[in-house]
Parts: sequence; structure tokens; C-alpha cells
Amino acid sequence: MTDKTLAERSAPSLLECEINGEKVSLAVPPTRRLLDLLRDDLQLTGTKRSCDIGRCGACMVLIDGKPFNSCLTMAYQCSGKSVTTIEGLAEEERLHPVQQCFLEEGGYQCGYCTPGMIVSVKALLDANPQPTMEEIEEALSGNLCRCTGYGGILRSVARAIETGGAASNE
Amino acid sequence: MLLNRETSGTRWRVRPDGPPKVTGRLAYLTDMSVPGMLHGMVLRSPYPHARIVSIRTEKALAMKGVHAVLTCEDVPGLNRFGIAHPDHPVFCEDRVRFVGDAVAAVAAETAELAAEALKRIEVEYEPLPVVDDPEFALRDDAPRLHEHGNVLHRNDYAFGDVEEAFRACAHIVEETYSTPRQMHVYMETEGGLFVPEADGRLTVYSPTQHGLMDRMQLARILNRPEADIRVVSSPIGGSFGGKDELNVQPYGSLLALATGRPVKLHNSRFESVRAGLKRHPMRITMRTGTDASGKLLAHRVRVVSDAGPYSTLSAEVLNFAVEHVLGPYRYEAAEVKSVSVFTNNGMSGEFRGFGGNQAIFALEGQMDRLAEKLGMDPWAFRRINLRKPDDPGPLGQPIAPTDGARQVWEALPASRLWREKERAAAEAAPAEPWLKIGYGAAFVMHGAGLGVGIPDPAGGRLTLTPDGKIEAAFGYEEFGQGLIASLEQMLIEQFGFGSADLRIVIGDTDAVPDSGSSTASRSTSMMWQSLRRLRAPFSSRLLGAAAEALRLPADRLRLGEGGIRDAASGELLLAYGRLAELAPEPIVCETSFSYPTSPVERVGSHYLYSYSSVAVKVEVNTLTGRVRLLDQFHAVAAGPVVNPQGYLGQIEGGSGMALGFTLMEDAVMKEGVYLTRNLDTYLIPTIAELRGRFEVLPIEGLPEGDEHGPRGIGEIGSVGLAPAIAQAVYDAVGVRTAKLPIDPEALQAVPDFESEEVEPA
Amino acid sequence: MAMEQKEILRRPSVWQPRDPAEAVRLKEAFGPDAVYVAGSTLLRTQWEAGTAVMPPHLIDLASIPGLAGIAEQDGELVVGSLARLDDCRAHPALADKAPLLVEAIKQIAGRSVRNQATIGGNVVYRVGDAMPALLALDARLDWHDGTGSRTEDVSEWLRAPSAAPRVLTAIRLPIAEDAPTSNARRTFAYHKVGRREAFTPSLVTVAIAAASAADGSIADIRIAAGGGQTVPKRMTRAEDALLGKAPDARLLAAVHEAILEDYVPAPDPFAADSYRKKTAANLVVAALWKTFCRPAEARG
Repeated sequence: MTDKTLAERSAPSLLECEINGEKVSLAVPPTRRLLDLLRDDLQLTGTKRSCDIGRCGACMVLIDGKPFNSCLTMAYQCSGKSVTTIEGLAEEERLHPVQQCFLEEGGYQCGYCTPGMIVSVKALLDANPQPTMEEIEEALSGNLCRCTGYGGILRSVARAIETGGAASNE
Repeated sequence: MLLNRETSGTRWRVRPDGPPKVTGRLAYLTDMSVPGMLHGMVLRSPYPHARIVSIRTEKALAMKGVHAVLTCEDVPGLNRFGIAHPDHPVFCEDRVRFVGDAVAAVAAETAELAAEALKRIEVEYEPLPVVDDPEFALRDDAPRLHEHGNVLHRNDYAFGDVEEAFRACAHIVEETYSTPRQMHVYMETEGGLFVPEADGRLTVYSPTQHGLMDRMQLARILNRPEADIRVVSSPIGGSFGGKDELNVQPYGSLLALATGRPVKLHNSRFESVRAGLKRHPMRITMRTGTDASGKLLAHRVRVVSDAGPYSTLSAEVLNFAVEHVLGPYRYEAAEVKSVSVFTNNGMSGEFRGFGGNQAIFALEGQMDRLAEKLGMDPWAFRRINLRKPDDPGPLGQPIAPTDGARQVWEALPASRLWREKERAAAEAAPAEPWLKIGYGAAFVMHGAGLGVGIPDPAGGRLTLTPDGKIEAAFGYEEFGQGLIASLEQMLIEQFGFGSADLRIVIGDTDAVPDSGSSTASRSTSMMWQSLRRLRAPFSSRLLGAAAEALRLPADRLRLGEGGIRDAASGELLLAYGRLAELAPEPIVCETSFSYPTSPVERVGSHYLYSYSSVAVKVEVNTLTGRVRLLDQFHAVAAGPVVNPQGYLGQIEGGSGMALGFTLMEDAVMKEGVYLTRNLDTYLIPTIAELRGRFEVLPIEGLPEGDEHGPRGIGEIGSVGLAPAIAQAVYDAVGVRTAKLPIDPEALQAVPDFESEEVEPA
Repeated sequence: MAMEQKEILRRPSVWQPRDPAEAVRLKEAFGPDAVYVAGSTLLRTQWEAGTAVMPPHLIDLASIPGLAGIAEQDGELVVGSLARLDDCRAHPALADKAPLLVEAIKQIAGRSVRNQATIGGNVVYRVGDAMPALLALDARLDWHDGTGSRTEDVSEWLRAPSAAPRVLTAIRLPIAEDAPTSNARRTFAYHKVGRREAFTPSLVTVAIAAASAADGSIADIRIAAGGGQTVPKRMTRAEDALLGKAPDARLLAAVHEAILEDYVPAPDPFAADSYRKKTAANLVVAALWKTFCRPAEARG
């Protein structure tokens, strides 16, 4: 790079952000995928790897409260942001109400899509506590589940809406 | 009574594996890592069919951080795997036969480095003509993929004089049905961690549906005793049959032993697509005839199944299809010819339904077509020809008698959905003139267990452990179906234990007895039977030891939550922990038996069957030809419901997969190459496809004296939906479907607005 | 060897320009060794599939301040190219003034992808599913070429895309004037058909923006169709047939014919061209029928 003024525009190999409420400073290449950073560098393996291209939702996390596919997100894109993974939902031993609803209604089978699904449901209900079926469909169509046929998931979401689930934990 | 949370009452329980699943704390085997581990990757053939001229690994080996590069030269034992017939090379020697064929594997310090090392392995191939069509493969002039030719397996079956029977027919229907190369799409791709232990043993942490089978196969490949290998195989992020056969285990094991370091493998989705199993694409031609009254006289079937390059369980799947193309109906004469054929397409293998899905789609299609020719109601037509409780099975074999066929047949017209259908004609037209509503139904009789001629062991062990736990050990796997939950529920309901008393041990070959595989809708049945056998001996040992310790007669005691209780008052007298301390000897009971089979010779014949009827309501958009499933009803006769949540989940989940099979899923191949590499083009149903109504009616009653208890329900939900939808589509738009997934183009119509009373607005 | 390993493991640099001019200078300096990145959702899919290789330099357009806004300006809606798709989907001004675009965006991917992907990325892709809507809305594109800004019609970008290292900064949507009389109406329709109901790659997309005159005739109409790898195009023959006329069943049949001819989809391995043509034609005539012909009592 000959242009001196541009040289300082290179993103640093140090990521500063918040993960599950804690400020972190990580020496990682700026293009490292958030998915790898969470799973391999921080051992937060609740975020799952499945398609690597944002089509299945198994790696869903919240960034500043909105759902993002961590496989599509690079480290530099998280700079200064707040990342919440499935591990950040429950407080101590108390499950998040959405987790509690999935548990009671049986909104999971193999469980591999479940963290991502719960993260998406939380994001939906935080933004819209009384979603219509169309809104649920729109919010969850990026989370594939191969086991349940979505029946248990829909019942879990319905229960979370009924109990005002998401709001009660805020 | 419909099955749901409300009707299940207290039997609807939170699964023991639920909390770690909803919190993300559950460590799947592909989540595992250990310090100092290497990353393994497999080099697979880019060609569907080629001769290997040379393999040079020097450049890859010379890379710093690359610890091993293995080829066929480095396999100490049998360079083959395959559950039934080991003909699948671990590493190809001189020829590749599909785009997933493995040629080499590397272990390196990072995954990136391993990927780079793969690129530096130089393989010279000489492409060979591709056999991508099973019909072509059967021709004399087709290239031979194996020394013995391209026929993997034939299975023919006939009774009566079928020619004569056809001559007597008043109505005959002939059709060729074809089904797609469906992919399992377990959300967790194949992988695991392979650890060489200090004592020289090897621990394999990798999902499979039968840990002991993997151990046997790995011992054969590694040329070491089975006892030197431990396979830890649960929990599993979905399998559906797809992880029953070995996948990455040979490579992880060989790399770990070659490097002396732990090795992790975790397939990318494309790796999973190219190397993994798919449902067998089948072409099934059926000619079926009745007399003027609707009685089935003749049924002739030809099945051609695309096995891909190697055997795995293709022969067994074909056998299953042969049985299920006959199904629950009685004929005067029938003739089935079937063949499973080697091709250079992707590997076909075990998949939920096991050949029944294809067979029953075709068979039920024939029933609907014949009923129409007869001018009869399709459901009434089925009744005329339906088996009776004491009739022999589809292959003439004795089967355990139940009244399931009649029960599910009767349940369907009584369902809310079917009663709505009766009223639908009078209802207002849909919102748009191009939306058409249709109703359809299908009947399913599905076998469980591996069948005659295949070792099908079962069994389990109950132990009062030194720390006072009731340990239930079974060689089964948890891939989401709720096996652990069902086992816990049976231990609580049948013995009286509390959930806190229990420790369930599965999925670890060092710790479990041989219970057979977690396949073929068999595990819950076999756990139920095991516990039934263990109940008296284990209870009496516990109560006997307690009686001695408490100096009370055993008949005043009973098992209960937390420990031994007073039979009359329920008062807790002796905690299990204390009982374990006081018992003079360890209390262990084990049972071992085999899945019940029919007393016949014919390989694969089944003895226990489940029955189901499925009704659906669909909406067809004739502008786009797209089909929406609005409503479904499943009646299932499979004995008692062991675990309501699991039962409902199996039927709903199986049906969801079947919807994909019917409307959208197909791992399309062109000249032996997958056109679908990931979930951006291989589409499975989302929540948008499956938000319709859903009712499950379990029919639990069994004949007096039945000893077999709950029948399998793991597969049956995935079978009947396709033919029911096909019929509903016909009902909606008058187009017959013989090929899945349904081609929307066939359902399209140019809108005719002349007839819509057009007035300028 | 150590060098070699370092070489392999070297990750791309990410450059974060402060304005479009800097971005263009970076791209000019690195040439094919660099790629502009915004949401990176499409790029990641290509990198993972191996259809593109991650180059040594990424130029992060999202770091440029001021490119993500959505505002009304001088009778236009100006949508910053870095606006995330889901922000567009939820924006009240777009919902009010460009519902056609909102409807199109709503059906792109799933919410999490839309939180990341930008409208600019969809435009630069050329076959993004927002494009038929932008065509039907007569959108214009603002580009910065390193020295200054230039505006071109979206149709021009689709017809003959420039390969110059410029940066898309905004999408401009004309705000239609209110209809002159109470009987005249403006209507929009957008349809996407794929191989499943949600989060699906498109096979066919159609967008219609029309205005009817007080006498029920069509005063203005733009019909665009795309889908899959098809570069979206206006269906001019159909538009010509409709302009100034009050549609009836016979005219719709002619429009159907015209679209079967006008719409030439790029091949898709999972669907026949004949299916896609029929689908496009069916959707367009059905939308027109609903708007202009359906008996009044059924219109709800």
C-alpha cells in the first residue's frame, strides 16, 4: 500500500466487543467468523455449526438484540457491539422464559437447532410480544429444524406469547 | 383421544435431556475439543468414475504442521466398510466410483492447514464413462462397476398365477412411480473426536446409531481387537438412518493412531452432501387389477432401486420395499421383481422408512387410481381388500395378530378433518379463483425390526450402583427421538422409581450391553420388553435385600421414589443409597433376547407391524402449481403410548420430512455430480410449510394376550403423507402424480377470466 | 516452510475507508486483490461454495458513515446503499411510499440475513430479488466514482453494468404524485415463487406498478420480471398492450401471450423454463385481474 493516508484504515487484529454481557478483547484476524470465534476460541459451543452460509439458523446469535447468523458475521463486524449467545440467555440457573416454554412443550428433539431457534424466538418476542402467525413464520423461516416438523416449536412459541414470556425477563 | 399435552396429563414430562438442550450446554460429540488435537480432513474424488493412475502425497506431507497424510497403503486391516456387506473402500486403491469416494486423509494443526494440505495431494485420475442411470447400468453394454457386475441384489416374490388373474380382471391400472434422492439433513453434520489413549486403546467420540457395530467395523479396519476400541456415540444432532453406517470414523481413527494425537473431524455441509447417504431413488412399475366388484385379483410390480456405488444396506432396503409394495391388501395373485443396482451416483442407504416410503407411495397410488376406475370411494375400496387380524403378512408369513388395520381404517372417516371434507362441497369457494382445495388419504402398514435372517439382538441391564442410583444401561443411541425420556418414563411408571433415582447409560460401548441397533423403529419396543423381563428379578432382588436389611417381610415392601417404601403406607423405609451399602452383593440384572421374528425362511420378513391412516387437506395454487398442506390427521395403531411427547414428536417430525419428500426435496445429480451442495439449493421444509393443523390419534389397544407391547412409531409418520397429498392434489385439480417431488408445472393452468364474470371496475 | 505456513494462514486485511472516495482509491490500488464488502452475506455463500475466493483485501463499505440512512428528499425517497434489508423492510417511509419494495424485501432470505445484508448489495448483485421492484418503481442509482457522484437509471445498470471501481451510495425512488382524481388509483403487486414458501431462492419474481385513470383505463404501468439468475427486465410488450386500455379477459389473454414471449429466464437446474414463463405470465395477469377486473363485491 503506497497511499500513506489509507494505510491507517486497516482494521486491527484486536476485536473489542461485549459477549454475553462481558467486555472482551480478542486478538483475532478481522475476518475470523464469529461462529469460529465463539466455538473454537471461547468454547461457547451452544452456537452450532451446520450449513456455514446462513441458511439453517443453527448458529444464530443476537447482535445488539437482533438475530444474526454467526457464520455470516466476521469479527470486525462485531466491533463495539454486544453479542448474546444461547449461553447468555439463562440467568444463573434460572432459564429464560422462552427456554422454559421450549422445555415444557417439547419444542426440540435432537436439540441441535434448538439454541438458534430459541435465540430467534427471543429476538422476535422482544421486538413484538404478540406476533401473528405470519410474523412468527417470517421470524423463524431462517431456522431449520429437521426433527420436530415444527409442531412442538409452534406450541412453545404460542406458550411464550401466552405467558408474556420474553417481556418478563427484561 | 387425540394426543397432545392436555390429554396426556402428568404423562407429559420434561425430557431429562431437555435442560442442557435448551441452554446450549449439551456437548455434542462434534462440539468436543482437547488441547493439542489435530484437525482431520478427507480428500474425495472429484470424478464420479475414474481410474486412479497415481497418488503423490509428498508435498502435503512436507508442509509444516501437517502430521499425517494417509492413503490405502496405510490401512492396517480391511480397507473396506459396510454394515451388511463390506465393499465400500476406506481409501480407494485404483478406482473411484462416486464423487464422495475417499482417496486420502490428512491431519494437521489447524483446519485451514488441513484444507491446504488436501490441495497439495496430487492425484492423477483417468476419467471413465459414468453410469448414472440404473436402467442403463443393467444393460449388457454398460461399464461394470464391480467385478460381479452392476446388480447388487435381486429379490423376487410371487404367489398364484398372476397372468391368469389379470385375465379375470375387469379393471386394470398400470403406472410407473418414481421417487427422489432425499437427503437426511441432520442438522449436525458427521464428525467427532478420535483419541488415542495412554493405555493404547482408542476412544471414538462420533455419532452412530449402533456403537457396537461401529466398534466391530473399526476393529476390522484397524486390525485390532474390539476391546481396544471404545465408541462413544450419543448425543447425536439428528440421524434418521443416515449415521448408522460408518462415515468419518475410519479416517479419524486411522489419523489418530498414525499421529498418536487426538484428531477432530467435522464435515462441512458439502462434504456431508457428497459423501453421505441418501434415500434410494426408486422406479416402481405397478400393474394392478380388480374384478368388477372391486376385489383385488392381480398385482405385478417391478422395482428398480439406485444403490449408488457400494452396498451398505441397499439389499435390505430393497427387501423391505418388496414386502411393502404388497402391503396390507389381499390379492389372488401377485408377482414382484426387484433389483438394486450399482451406479456412479451418490451413495444410497438407510433412511427413515427404509424403502417403505417409496413402496407405499406407489401402492397407495394404485389404490386411488383403481377406486376411480371402479367409480368407488377410494377409502371404501381399500376396506374391501384390507387384511384381517389373523391374515398372514405381506409375504405370506405369520405375523403377530392385531386389529390395527381395521382400527386405523375406521378412525379416518371419523376424524374432524374427514368430516369437514364432507361439508366442504357446500362451503364457499376459496378466496381466489386459482386456489383449489383437495382432500386425500392413505393407508400404511409398516414393519419394524430387522426381519428374518438378520441378527437382531436386544437386551439391557439394571443395576443398583454403589452410590445408590438405579442404573439402566442399554446399547441404544439418543438422536433426538426421546429414547432417554422414554426409558425414564418406563422406569418410573413400571417400577415406581423417581427420576432422581435414575442414571441412564447409553451410547458408550464400554458401558452398555448389546441391545442391537437404534434403527427400524425397534428401540422403544425392545426397551419395553427388556424392562418387562427385568421387572420381576430386579424388583425381587432389591426387595429381598431390603427385607433382609430392614428385617421385614418382602411383601410388606415396595419400590418407590427415593427408596424402599412401606407397601401399605408408602412411607420411605430405606433409601437406595443405604440399600446399596447394606446389600451383601451388588444387585445387577441383565437380559438378552432377540427381536421377535416370523417363523419363516424368507429373509427380511417382518413379524411386528404398525398401522396408520393419514388424511390431508391441501390447497393448490394453479397460477404457480405450488401445493400447501393445510391440515393433517394421522391415526396410528402401534400399541400403548410409552411417551406422549415423544410419540407426537415422531409423527409430526416424520410427517415434516415426508412433506419435503413430496413437495421439494431432491438431491439432483447430473452425470454423477451433485447439483445441490448445501441448504441454499437443497431445500427442506421451513416453519412456513408446516404451520397447518395437525392431529394425531393413537390407537393403543392390543389383542388380549399380546406380549409384544408398544410397536415402533419412529418411521411410520414419514410414510403415508406422500400418497395422501398426491390424492388430495388430484382431488383439487384433477392431475395424477406419479413422480415425487410433485412437479408444480403439471398443476398449472392459465387462468380463464372469461368464466369469472369479468366486469371492468 | 515457516514462511509458507504463514502465507497460508494469512488472513485478508480489512480496509475501512471513511468516505466513498477512499473506498474507490483502495479498490483502484488493489484491483482484483480486493473486493468491496458490506453485509458480506452473498460473498460468504460464494466463498464457502468455492465459486469465489476470498481475496487478500476486503474494503468495508459499512465503515463509511452516512450511507445507511433512509429519508425523503425533494420528492424522492433516498435509501442509503448501506441500509440493511430488514431496516428497509421496517421503515415507515418505505412502507408508506414504496410498499412494492417493502413487499419484495420481506421475501428475501430470512430475518437474520436481512439484518446483515444491505439493499446496495442486492442492487450490485443485479439478480437480487429487490430488483424487479426497483425497476417497476423507476429507481435511480447514485454512484461515487472516486471523484464525484453520478446518477443512473436502475434499468441502465441492469442493461449494461459498468465495471469501473465505483461505489453505490444510494438508491433514489421517485415518489408518485397523488392521483389527480378520486377515481384514479395507484396499485402495486409483487410476487415471488421459489421451490418452497419461505427463505427460498427465487425462480420467478414479478413486480407491477400501475396507475389507472378515472375511466378505469391504465394510465401508467411498469411490469418487471426476474428470478434466479435472470437479470430482471421490463415486460415492455405487455406494458404496451395495456397502456391506455381497460383490461378485460381478452386483453389479459394477450398480455399472457406477451409475457410468455418477453420473459426469458436464465436457466435454472431445478425448474424448467416453460414453468417459469407460465408462472410469470400467470402471476402478472392474475394481479392485473385482481386490480382491474375482479367483480367489485369480491374485491373486499
